[in-house]
Amino acid sequence: MVDLSVKIGSLRLKNPVLTASGTFGYGRDYDEYLDIAQLGGIVTKTITLNPREGNPMPRIAETPAGMLNSIGLSNVGADRYLSDKLPALKNVDTVVIANVAGDTIEEYGEIVSRIQDQSRIDGIEINVSCPNVKQGGLAFGTNPDITAEVVRISRLETEKPLIVKLTPNVTDITEIALAAQESGADAVSCMNTLVGMGIDISTRKPLLHHILGGLSGPSIKPVALAKAYQIVQVLDIPVIGIGGIMTWEDAVEFLLAGVTAVQVGTLSFVDPYGSIAIIEGLRLYCQKNGISKVENLIGGMIQS
Amino acid sequence: MIHICEITEQHSITNNIYRMRLKAPMIASSAKPGQFIHIKVRTGIDPLLRRPFSIHRIDPGNEEIILLYRKAGRGTSILSQMSPGDSLDLMGPLGQGFDLQTSFDHAIIVAGGMGSAPVFFLIDELLKAKKKITLLWGVRAGEEIFNENEIRKQGIELKVATEDASKGHCGFVTDLLSEYLSKNITKNTYSGFVCGPECMIHEVQKIVESVDFRWQASLEARMACGVGVCLGCAVLIRERGFQMVCKDGPVFDLREVQFNG
Repeated sequence: MVDLSVKIGSLRLKNPVLTASGTFGYGRDYDEYLDIAQLGGIVTKTITLNPREGNPMPRIAETPAGMLNSIGLSNVGADRYLSDKLPALKNVDTVVIANVAGDTIEEYGEIVSRIQDQSRIDGIEINVSCPNVKQGGLAFGTNPDITAEVVRISRLETEKPLIVKLTPNVTDITEIALAAQESGADAVSCMNTLVGMGIDISTRKPLLHHILGGLSGPSIKPVALAKAYQIVQVLDIPVIGIGGIMTWEDAVEFLLAGVTAVQVGTLSFVDPYGSIAIIEGLRLYCQKNGISKVENLIGGMIQS
Repeated sequence: MIHICEITEQHSITNNIYRMRLKAPMIASSAKPGQFIHIKVRTGIDPLLRRPFSIHRIDPGNEEIILLYRKAGRGTSILSQMSPGDSLDLMGPLGQGFDLQTSFDHAIIVAGGMGSAPVFFLIDELLKAKKKITLLWGVRAGEEIFNENEIRKQGIELKVATEDASKGHCGFVTDLLSEYLSKNITKNTYSGFVCGPECMIHEVQKIVESVDFRWQASLEARMACGVGVCLGCAVLIRERGFQMVCKDGPVFDLREVQFNG
């Protein structure tokens, strides 16, 4: 028997594989394809205080081994999340992490305060990194002081595990990660999408209505791995690796680089069962290599 | 559901248009006209995303589904190179098909380009329900019209428009529709169906503004997940806001679709 469980702050996950925000709906959308109770956890779609329609079309485009998206945080809003979406996860034996965003620093505090007394929410992931919301340009997560303020204000509202999802679109991601840690984050997830774009040369139009979008998928994996690795070097709190994870081998790589858990995103669009296949692959890898606890893999890279 | 399905037949029926048969017992027994399947054209990470294809026809006796597609981009290019015996990973049937429960005697179908693909499945079901059918079919070139004899033999009224004047009316299928509506509407109860590119569907919407029967439109969109999760294929629907083509559609009430511009 391999012990696949890991700890993120006070949260115990049955295995280190979660589904990433924005790629798994509010948790029940893929029921036809997999048993969500087998997952280490589910991070639900980013919610904001008020519902958001999202951006005009086109919102997605395929790129080599990847995809661009500019959905624009389309979501049902906090009220419907609490009344319709969260209750549907009531008796599911897996960790549920609510992902939240705000238009202003204060709004982060408000949304955290609004949802934090829900027993079904095991942790809160703060999205300071969505590059698609046009609020004076840059995402909050590109500035360490603003990131610190968002985390501080959220921390005041809840004792639940607080995870900060970082953007890679900065000069030095470790600076932002440290700011999050110092302001009270229990973990960081690294990383959100890379800013990208594409142009259709036959029509000369951008592939996305908003021109710039977020690049995800296997093409970004080496970048995500490097960012996670860099952050692990400087932080004391756990890091959750995200970015282009498609196989169990990818997940092992992230664990060896020092992350405590991984989130699977774009893979679910291509193969809804992919996250479970990763868990099974991890288990077999541990068995074959005589690893009794997956925690023993964390940070196990051997430098030559 | 995800199915691994074997290709049983693949033909090029005309320039760049292919017909593929797949062994897919569960889809063949449960799919409805207007629904689609979501195909991973190749294992591995490039191309990454699945591609949606409407179901052209089903052959429940042989437990097969039939696709009709034009080789246009990378995905269809890869598909066109596959042979009987090869397998495809597909999800489906997905989406909401046409609503055929409403009462009508006579179906008017407007099809444009590859939008004709799901129309044949629709026609098969309408014939089973003993409906009278008029098919207005627009293509670029006459060679893209196929199964003409079969269609006429089934008692379907067929009118063709070609952009290159090689067959039927020279011009757009929407010309045929305007003419048809101005001359032929009788005391029958009608229902309209339209499949094709967005610009054509938008034009049909304007033309049928004054007719008093229902029109259903099957929309096409770029998609990632195909099941309403990624929110990439939104369409604005009157009074409902953004809906997902993959999950809430691809068939919508034509009058409720709000096109850009």
